Amino acid sequence: MMAGDAMDRRDDWLECTLRAEAADQGAQYLADDGFTARVLVHLPPPAALPAWRRPALILLWLVAAGAAVAALPDLAYDLFRSLVAAVVVVPLTLSRIMIALAVLAALAWSAIVYVMREE
Amino acid sequence: MPSAPVSDAQLIARVLVQDDRHAFGELVRRHQSAVRSSLRRLTGGNHALADDLAQETFLLAYRNLRSFRQEAKFSTWLFRIAYNAFLADARKMKELPLPEEGEDRELAPPEDPAAPLARSAALNVDLERAMATLSEPERAAIVQCYHNDLSHEEAAYVLGCPVGTVKTHILRAKQKLKARLAGWGPES
Repeated sequence: MMAGDAMDRRDDWLECTLRAEAADQGAQYLADDGFTARVLVHLPPPAALPAWRRPALILLWLVAAGAAVAALPDLAYDLFRSLVAAVVVVPLTLSRIMIALAVLAALAWSAIVYVMREE
Repeated sequence: MPSAPVSDAQLIARVLVQDDRHAFGELVRRHQSAVRSSLRRLTGGNHALADDLAQETFLLAYRNLRSFRQEAKFSTWLFRIAYNAFLADARKMKELPLPEEGEDRELAPPEDPAAPLARSAALNVDLERAMATLSEPERAAIVQCYHNDLSHEEAAYVLGCPVGTVKTHILRAKQKLKARLAGWGPES
């Protein structure tokens, strides 16, 4: 019985000692000291897009547009006629041509940005 | 109004979706102390080796982040990677720290009982020495359950063994530590 008590006391003492030592060590926060920066430097480089991907995407868009025109020729024809009519009705001036070009450029730029963002 | 702190899960999502390296840096900053500290324990106080293994741990975590399924806490997952990195290194080196000369002796408190601080420091040193004499799985079990404050189940996940094995390692480790530290303790 006495030996058992002594054993229990030793168990408790060791448990307390291990907990206290772990708490003591755990309370000691290790300063970063450039550790994070060293890890980030060694990360693999970001995956670069292959060089052929951009022209391939543009080609695919053009093929898709061609396919859409071929599949819906009436709609494409109507659209084209409406566009021509709109251009003919509105008298052409240099400023309007510039505005139209600017709008087209903005639309093209937005489409490119959108496609690249999706990539 | 201060913004709510970003959770580990949110940072992980940013890394996965946008390859956001700042988010990964934040994860490293949050967990570096615990991981390095744990590895220092496992390597028996070899700070340089522990930091190298910690760096490897985070690089492996970055590469394998997609395989993290949130079954465990992110920190527990990191401890598992760290332990595996430690094991791989130990196998590569094929040598574990050997007990120094005279380490078979029983460790006991210093003679001067009037110096409690010195006594506490001496106990820490002796505990570290006693820990160094444990087998690698026993030391790892103690480190995970006490130093990293993991449950037996979490420790089993980190160590890659059944819960019963973890308990056995803890029991054996404690028996060895009690024997080694017989000079300390309640009766001394």
